[in-house]
Amino acid sequence: MSGRALAAGTSLVGGVETRVSRSLPRLFGSIAAMAALLALVPLWVGDSRVRMGVAILGLAFACYAVGFNLIFGSTGQLFLCVGALAGVGGYGTALLADRAGVPLVAALIISTLGAALVGGLLSWVAVRRSLGVIFAGIITLIFALSFENLVLGASTLTGGDAGIQVSAGSGTFLRQRTAGYYVMLGLVVLCLVVHGLLRRSRVGWAFRALRDDEVAAELAGVDVSRYRVYAALVGSAMLGLAGGAYALIAGRVSPTTYGFAQVDVVVIVMLAFGGIGSLFGPVLGAVVFTILDELLIELGQLRLLAYGALIIVLFLWIRRGVIPTLAGLVRRTPGSPPAPAAGEEPG
Amino acid sequence: MLEVQGVSAGYQGSDVVRDVSFRVDEGETVMIIGSNGAGKTTLFRAVCGLLPLSSGRVTFLGEDITGLPAQKVVRRGLAFVPAERHLFPQMTVEENLVLGAYPDKPDSEVLETVLELFPRLGERFRQLAGTMSGGEQQMLAVGRALMSRPRLLVLDEPTTGLAPIVARNAYAALGRLQEQGLTILVAEQQVPLALAISDRGYVLENGAIGLAGTSSELASDPRVRSAYLGIA
Amino acid sequence: MTASILDGIVLGLQFGVLAAGLTLVYGLGGVLNLAYGQIAVVSGLITLLTMEAGLPAVPAALVGLVTGGVLGLVFDLTILQPVYRRHGEARVLLSLLLTLGAAFVIDGYLNWRYPLQGLNLRITGDPLVILGVRMRMGSVVASGITIVVIGVLFWLFRYTRLGRAIRSVIQDEEGSRLVGIDPQVMMRLILVLSGVLAAIVAITRSMVAPVNVRAGFSLTVLGLIVTVVGGLGSIPGAFLAGLVLGIINSVASSYIGTFLSLIILLVAAAITIVIRPAGLLGVRE
Repeated sequence: MSGRALAAGTSLVGGVETRVSRSLPRLFGSIAAMAALLALVPLWVGDSRVRMGVAILGLAFACYAVGFNLIFGSTGQLFLCVGALAGVGGYGTALLADRAGVPLVAALIISTLGAALVGGLLSWVAVRRSLGVIFAGIITLIFALSFENLVLGASTLTGGDAGIQVSAGSGTFLRQRTAGYYVMLGLVVLCLVVHGLLRRSRVGWAFRALRDDEVAAELAGVDVSRYRVYAALVGSAMLGLAGGAYALIAGRVSPTTYGFAQVDVVVIVMLAFGGIGSLFGPVLGAVVFTILDELLIELGQLRLLAYGALIIVLFLWIRRGVIPTLAGLVRRTPGSPPAPAAGEEPG
Repeated sequence: MLEVQGVSAGYQGSDVVRDVSFRVDEGETVMIIGSNGAGKTTLFRAVCGLLPLSSGRVTFLGEDITGLPAQKVVRRGLAFVPAERHLFPQMTVEENLVLGAYPDKPDSEVLETVLELFPRLGERFRQLAGTMSGGEQQMLAVGRALMSRPRLLVLDEPTTGLAPIVARNAYAALGRLQEQGLTILVAEQQVPLALAISDRGYVLENGAIGLAGTSSELASDPRVRSAYLGIA
Repeated sequence: MTASILDGIVLGLQFGVLAAGLTLVYGLGGVLNLAYGQIAVVSGLITLLTMEAGLPAVPAALVGLVTGGVLGLVFDLTILQPVYRRHGEARVLLSLLLTLGAAFVIDGYLNWRYPLQGLNLRITGDPLVILGVRMRMGSVVASGITIVVIGVLFWLFRYTRLGRAIRSVIQDEEGSRLVGIDPQVMMRLILVLSGVLAAIVAITRSMVAPVNVRAGFSLTVLGLIVTVVGGLGSIPGAFLAGLVLGIINSVASSYIGTFLSLIILLVAAAITIVIRPAGLLGVRE
């Protein structure tokens, strides 16, 4: 591909070596460790309903970020409709369960599949027409805006600007903050497991190959188009599932729950923190951002300014994301190989 | 006029040409010959400011132009015509030529000379450059370079993609320019054509100068004859 | 119907100027400026503040134009410098991310400091009757200004040496360097021009409807969509797409309703992109 000899078990993701361990126990172990840490959160904030709400939202965003990371980080498709796809899951579940009388679980599954199909379709169209990154981004952006306007416009159905209360799930354990938190955490674990397993499989190898060098991947027999659509299908399913679950747990959805400015933009910032392409990056980024956002809540609108400045700094100087860079610094202990420098993209 | 000393240049860290030195004196026509991949294009791009040098010096008209970007080099009087020509496809022949004189206004005398040299360009004056044939585009590329009234004209494989008779015509035009006193440096794979108008030449092989000498010396050299002239 | 179409033309002309600024920058430098709408908004805001400080409308508008140009220059000299060091898709992506960050910085500050401000230039005068439709003076003046701008742009790029030099960089960057043109200098000029165009958008738009500080992103997104439909890098394409989409939006609005018509606009844009990614008048790369 790039002529560099790759150490066994490593690969280049976006020009940066990441170690993809073949060890399954290691994968499950790390995920379990992370889950255990996050499981402690209700101990600190469990008594504050508001804070728990923020934590649950943070976990939902973690799922969104994992999904976006799978689609963009793994196969380079700029999907600017994260919120909208989650919205398909959210509004879909709410409407199917409340208006159409579909049982809760079935509604969730159907709307998840719906989101997957929409995401897959967008990817398929982009792939068929060989649309580059910007065009894919614009098409998905158009979808996101259309969805937002559709929801705003069809107010009799969707409650328009004000949104709707989700009666499905009320009265169940889902609405209890702590239980809801753990359900969301379970979803985060699920998303990580799925992404983690994918990365270690043949599919993951194909993702890395096409991310590094599309032409070489094609020559090596990787059907680039097919894998792009796969990634979009799975990633969008994650988004829809998380969006739907959030609707059931929070009990209320409105256009701003799944809006572009509220979701997509935040997900990008989270990935700036946590790193694009790594497995845990999105979750770490989500956690850091959620905490940071809460700490800075006094600043109000100035937070936006801070995030903007952070995005600029992060994408300029720390390409891999804050966490991976810090981890790289830590790893540079005597005897271990130095972490490769985040250099400029070739060509 | 042009002195290249110990120049090395390449892509992404590895050098394609290594420690190359040559010179071109005023009024001369010098050729650099070599097979495909020898490094002629890399060398010329480095000398003309389109590619950074990893080492070496380039002096033009007594001034050190090492590392000077292409847009400044042409203003010093060195005009480069690359193999891909890089014309402006959606502009007419006229607009291409006028831009050749940038930032000055086009000199009507120079324009006349160019049109005399390449009457075809006059016929196609308002035609879009992108719609012309290979030979016509080559003429336009040379014409555009001439509009800047260069002291040195550098051409990289001017016969690329041209039919034999068109290639011969191109060199005939170069010959006329030579008669008018223009200093020319040309890289060429089709050695007989270049030999016909050159005073001196260098042979570039695998990124280094292998042989050098006057045209007659090179023409009678057995290695040149077998490798480039197809004479056993 | 005629009224809708005329309204659509007024809207379309503004779409066109909006897109022209974006498409110029992309066509020349392969850079997408997501903070474009913010440049427009800030220029409008400065115009407003200048008027509130006592200056009459026209000089205040000029101050706004200068603001736009200066902002464009600042962008070129600061956050776009690292972007220029990349190439191709990496450049576009980085430009998206960095200008997005810049857009947040500007929006965050504006929303904090001037949360409810909006530029609203009321043009006095009785409505003009055009083709049997009463058009507000504001719309007429705005459209008039836009048409003049189009004329100036046309003259600039077609007949001036500078314009030709800029076009040459768009058509073949290496070729332009070979004739002595410095692409970076041209890029700087284009960025200043796009900033001025953004300011023009804010000022003319405010003659028709108030432009408030929150409008930044909507302007950018709208501009982006019109740009892509018209063909990235094509100014005539930007204006053609602007007119087409403006008319579609306006006609759909009067017969169907705002939300749905916006969706129709978006879908029309999407269909164009899918069928013809190069855009209406785009140059296929």
